[in-house]
Amino acid sequence: MKIQILGTGCPKCRQLEANAREAVAQKGVDAEIEKVTDIDRIMDMGVMITPALVIDGEVRSVGKVLTADQIAAQL
Amino acid sequence: MGCTCSCGKEGETRILYACAGAANTGYLADQVARKLSREGMGDMSCLAGVGARLSGFIESAKAADRAIVIDGCSVACGKKAFEDNGIPLTHFMVTDFGVEKKKTEITQEVVDRVAGEIRRALGA
Repeated sequence: MKIQILGTGCPKCRQLEANAREAVAQKGVDAEIEKVTDIDRIMDMGVMITPALVIDGEVRSVGKVLTADQIAAQL
Repeated sequence: MGCTCSCGKEGETRILYACAGAANTGYLADQVARKLSREGMGDMSCLAGVGARLSGFIESAKAADRAIVIDGCSVACGKKAFEDNGIPLTHFMVTDFGVEKKKTEITQEVVDRVAGEIRRALGA
């Protein structure tokens, strides 16, 4: 599984990444977590507001900081 | 086109979409959206991405405080694409501003006038 956190490195992006790592640990799944900070790559995914969460190529949330539990429910 | 960070954002996050269809009215919708975006009314995104149900475009449209869709004519493809995906929208049709499909020549004056009407309707 591949999880991508889209954002330029702001506090919300960092919190979303931390929550994603916690969710992965909770579920015990094998997941690669990538931070995408390049604005062109972010916009190529159609994302207009950050932070955003992408799981296996599908954008699951935009402009929100999902909790670890909310992310775990999607893994 | 731009991307907004939600950290400490002020004011409404608006995203503009234009039908950009083949007719003169589609061209006008596109030009009006570009003008409004240049004037700071919001960032433009791709209506085709919403129509194609690409996840990033759908979730971004849902996350905007206001998604402004400018259609060229009463076929209203943009409106239907948003409604089919359950996304709230603020809708405009350029033919509501005295422009006739396949007839009106799209000049800068027409672009400025319709953009001004939409800006006023949005209270901006």
